[in-house]
Amino acid sequence: MKRFASLVLAAALVVSLAACGNGGESTNSTQSTATNSSSPSTTAQSGSTLPVLSPDKPVELSIWITTNQQAPSADNKISKLLKDKLGVTLKYEIITPDNQDQKIGVMLAGGEFPDLIGATDQNARLVTGGAYIPLDDYLKPEAADALYEHVKPYWNKIAYDGGQGKHIYQIPNYNRFYGEITGGTNYGASAFWIQKAVLADAGYPDLSNMTLEKYFKLLEDYKNKNPKIDGQPTIAFEVLAATGREWGMTNPPEYLAGHPNNGGVIVENNVAQIFADKDVSKRYYKFLNEMNAKGLVDRESFTQTLDQYLAKLATGRVLGMYDQRWSFGNANDALVAANKDERTYVATMPTFDGVAPYYADRDVMNINQGVGVSVSCKNPDVAVAFVNEIMKEEWQKILSWGIEGEDYQVGADGRFTRTEKQREESRDLVWRSSNKLKALEDIMPKHNGTFSDGNAYGPDGQPEEFFETLRQYDKDFLTKYNKKTWRDFNNQPPENPVYYPAWNIALPDGSDAQMANKQLTDASLQYLPKIIMAKPADFDKLWTEYTGTIGKINVKAYEDAINAGIQDRIKNWGNN
Amino acid sequence: MRAKTLALPRDRRSVWGTIISQRELIIMSVPLLLYKILFSYVPITGWTMAFQNFRPAIRSTWDQQWVGFDNFVKLFTGINGERFIRDIRNTLAQSFLTLIIGYVCSILLALLLNEVKNTGFKRIVQNITYMPHFLSWIIVAGLVSTALSFPSSGGIVNILLMKLHIVSEPVQFLSNPNYFWGVVAGSHLWKELGWNTIIYLAAMTAIDPALYEAADIDGANRYHKMWNITLPSIKATIVILLIMSIGWILEAGFEIQYFLGNGLVVEKAETIDIFVLKYGIQMGNYSLATVAGIFKTGVSIILIAGANFIAGRLGEEKLI
Repeated sequence: MKRFASLVLAAALVVSLAACGNGGESTNSTQSTATNSSSPSTTAQSGSTLPVLSPDKPVELSIWITTNQQAPSADNKISKLLKDKLGVTLKYEIITPDNQDQKIGVMLAGGEFPDLIGATDQNARLVTGGAYIPLDDYLKPEAADALYEHVKPYWNKIAYDGGQGKHIYQIPNYNRFYGEITGGTNYGASAFWIQKAVLADAGYPDLSNMTLEKYFKLLEDYKNKNPKIDGQPTIAFEVLAATGREWGMTNPPEYLAGHPNNGGVIVENNVAQIFADKDVSKRYYKFLNEMNAKGLVDRESFTQTLDQYLAKLATGRVLGMYDQRWSFGNANDALVAANKDERTYVATMPTFDGVAPYYADRDVMNINQGVGVSVSCKNPDVAVAFVNEIMKEEWQKILSWGIEGEDYQVGADGRFTRTEKQREESRDLVWRSSNKLKALEDIMPKHNGTFSDGNAYGPDGQPEEFFETLRQYDKDFLTKYNKKTWRDFNNQPPENPVYYPAWNIALPDGSDAQMANKQLTDASLQYLPKIIMAKPADFDKLWTEYTGTIGKINVKAYEDAINAGIQDRIKNWGNN
Repeated sequence: MRAKTLALPRDRRSVWGTIISQRELIIMSVPLLLYKILFSYVPITGWTMAFQNFRPAIRSTWDQQWVGFDNFVKLFTGINGERFIRDIRNTLAQSFLTLIIGYVCSILLALLLNEVKNTGFKRIVQNITYMPHFLSWIIVAGLVSTALSFPSSGGIVNILLMKLHIVSEPVQFLSNPNYFWGVVAGSHLWKELGWNTIIYLAAMTAIDPALYEAADIDGANRYHKMWNITLPSIKATIVILLIMSIGWILEAGFEIQYFLGNGLVVEKAETIDIFVLKYGIQMGNYSLATVAGIFKTGVSIILIAGANFIAGRLGEEKLI
């Protein structure tokens, strides 16, 4: 039911204004880094048991990446740098998250894989399917030193038992923090989003103690005043129900009840229970049903694909929706690029009965996500050496900030800054494709937090850079609310429970739990749209049908698997 | 022939004689035979998966865990069973609707085109109607989804219906399950109509003009000629094509149902192939997918044998 949520994707996807650069002359770029004393040095690996990557020994690695980012263009300047410095040419195959499941199914059946696989599948199907090699032998100070550093404190969490004992197969790609935890400026996860223009029109109302009633009142008032936006009918509320993002329809009840994102279950006292058929859900869908009767829910919500949904948001005529920030990042980028800043969104956190909201959580390290080396890789030493090299600070800066002097400057105090031109370029989607490796950065392990010189991993984590990058409308908007960052609109997240989050507990292929989970998702897809669109008089009848169908599913198998996962984590993760 | 040979060994030489005299033909057919064996019969060994708890991590077929008919029980009983049976119904209904509408319309169009004496006009109509055949289904699905959406999203069909005052409110084609079969059949019709007429038009060119001349002398009008000469002359073609289509009846298509089949219409939209994709490939449950595949093959063989038998009884051409 959920589980796509790499919350952190947020941090990077959303905010991925990381780019920069003075111009596109790639020849200059390579020269400038070549003469730069801090340029990535291949000698760093001398004394290591891994092969040294150098342009004298060119290698080609195929890499499969699950990401929303696009493949880089052929003339990409960072690709060129990788080739000039390390002799590595990457052959990309990029799969969007909604197509990942079937691609994995086909690949496993075929038994042939690219050299490197970067997947975000929570069920670790590639691990249990035998697609990855265990990396344990490489993760040593004298071998893949940077990767060893990356996983050492979290070995127990990252290691996964895919049927052959616990080994590390994938290097986590987000939220393994170094130094000071940053990224506190943007919020990447769940909320009931509302257009800034709606709040401005209502006189910047107080957003604390938000309820569904207040939220929809704001939408309704604005819609009545502005029946059309840019000549097209205004849509008050959009429901996300596209393939792979079904959680857009099924997850809200847990937040409304004051619980954090545990996917399809609410966990109380370390015991997980599904909530799809419980009263919190009934109350939410009943409310949506009434709102639909008032014409506030888009009638096309349930028939559109993800692309159509995003395209609709990008027109700026959708006033609000429940979604995760990273999930509609592309629509947001399009609005920003079209200078429609007032049509972008801020987070609100409605709950039932005055319960304290728990939408925002502490950033969780991604497990069962990230890049690994496949069993088909002819030369795993080289593949590991490449990932290890990229994990070093020099390359991390190149991936996130860009090339020094071209995409950012280093001030006298050692702080990284960008000019207005560099910031504007970083918002330009076309510029990015030839100057950034967004897809690769997305899946590779990252130096989240701060570098050893104190600069943040990316421009958005650098507080002064964040404020300077805001446009005037956003600066004024934040001032009106007396807030400094977008994250200030959220609750203060308490410490995560040890087991958290339950949405990334893997359900093995072919298990009853996996089957039950799929059936629950399918039942919600079949009934919830009908329930929301029905005449209010038919609500109870349809709700009974829906819960009746859930009753036929082996829910216990699903809950048992989640609870076993929770207990296992409490037992094994307590120490880190 | 073979039985005869066994009974009368003396005839063996003549069999060998036949083989030798036809050796070029036999040699020519070898590559095709190998192709068929390799791609149609060797994969059948994969059916073993249906009786195993197949895990791709174990590379050898024989090391898999054998589970007997467990997967069959899983597929045909309980909540999966209800769903699978519903999917069989959807597949058959969509197929038959598509087949019947597609057949009637393409034969009709072929008959009409055959009567058009202005070659230029005939060519234009033919070109326009068969062009969509070359679009991939995913593009057609995109076009259909836009054409049938609300006017504000560019739904041309709704705009047209409203301008013509046939409906006052836009019709929710894509969220009402009762329209779904029609949408599928309509999309197939739009895409394949022109293409399917080509073979009938070709068959019609083979009709002896003397028949028409004789009919003219007998005072037959155009409709008489269509009914009594053209149609009976292409009857054999129609029957053969029909038998061949029956073999594909469980292939109701995949892309359009996958692309347009949202949760609201799933009860009418989901076909066997989509079930296999969702529960087999996406969940890595290859065994369940194999059981569904075996079932499809079995039903197809029965259907085609049945159609062939009936055609034979009716004194028509037989495929086999």
